Amino acid sequence: MPVRREKAERLADEELMPLVGRKDPEAFEVLFDRHGGAAYSLAYRIVGDRAAAEEVTQEAFISVWRSGARFDAARGSVRSWLLSVVRNRAIDFLRSRAGKAPKLTFDDDSVLEQRPARERTEEEALQRETSAELQGALGKLPGEQSKVIELAYFGGFSHSEIARMLNLPMGTVKGRMRLGLEKIRGDLAEGLA
Amino acid sequence: MNASDHNRWSEDLAAFVLGALEREETAAVERHLEGCSRCQEEMRWLAPALQTLPESVERLEPPPQLRQSLMAEVRADSRAQAAAERPARTRSWGWLLKPAAGFAVVALLVAGVVGYEVGKDGSSGGGGGGTTVERQLGGINVKMVQEGNSGTLQLAGVHQLPPDKVLEAWVEREGQVEAVPALFVPDRDGQAETRIADMSGVAVVMVTEEPQGGSDQPTSKPIMTMKVPS
Repeated sequence: MPVRREKAERLADEELMPLVGRKDPEAFEVLFDRHGGAAYSLAYRIVGDRAAAEEVTQEAFISVWRSGARFDAARGSVRSWLLSVVRNRAIDFLRSRAGKAPKLTFDDDSVLEQRPARERTEEEALQRETSAELQGALGKLPGEQSKVIELAYFGGFSHSEIARMLNLPMGTVKGRMRLGLEKIRGDLAEGLA
Repeated sequence: MNASDHNRWSEDLAAFVLGALEREETAAVERHLEGCSRCQEEMRWLAPALQTLPESVERLEPPPQLRQSLMAEVRADSRAQAAAERPARTRSWGWLLKPAAGFAVVALLVAGVVGYEVGKDGSSGGGGGGTTVERQLGGINVKMVQEGNSGTLQLAGVHQLPPDKVLEAWVEREGQVEAVPALFVPDRDGQAETRIADMSGVAVVMVTEEPQGGSDQPTSKPIMTMKVPS
């Protein structure tokens, strides 16, 4: 028997998840209302297109609806789990699109058109990460650290791909990732992030 | 393991939590983590930093149609599951027709009609005036049994469906197309059956293959379309 909407709204995320696992639409709707905005924003940040962000968000939530029982409370909050599902879907979307010609936003399109699709996608990602307005904890990092973290997290690139894109040794990329995450973590511990 | 060895793993952990290691490197870190409490502790320490990243993006309002479309799919899924979990006999009496009108859909239905054949079924109707329509349509044996106001659509020779597909029946009544809410699937022998609670005024019955959860209107070519005698 589905719970009433008013009751579902009073439940914590962790209490909603067993109901979602039992296919309760009201509980699921409350979950979407709480986290749909963050999910859509994250999807848009990664794929850079509203229609695609909508598609990615819907697919991610449908996968949650159909596999709600996979949530493991021991590994983090419902919100971070949901956002990780959205992030994975969005990165998959980017990778599937990488085989096709991506939309170009560079000045010299003719040069880029002659490059492999993957390389053009990397160029796009570099430009996006450079131009994006950084907020929150990420915005407080030195640019060299935030860039490698953003290329990995929002671009889905591996450390070796990032090293090639930025013309840096792989060890340097990993070192910057580590320093960046440690700085964010330190700020969190001090209540600054 | 000395400190220098451990630093190597420690360096990889940040790339690992960001999902930035290559496949083989990821597997190696996972194996190492299983037996290294120090790295496990370090992972736990870093995890909250990762969780701030999705929260750092500019917040946008999702378009209203995203919520509508998502919830329509979720509720259709929920209805299909509820129908599938009810015993067949009980389920058949619980159906209500839902409207899914659309001129194009009507055209599809009518255009797809390939004919009909009528025979009075005195034996199975038990003298109650039941009507049976039988037809071989596109390799599928179709039997439409009408008793009183309701009907049962029986199909034989239906191909096996992919796991993400179901059968959905549609009726055309007074120019409006309605979906029969309970979705169905063929059994191992290719037999499938659905019940139409209200046959009054139904001119055409059609069945299409639809995604799990069903659709608001037909999205694929009908596997069968049958005109119902008035």
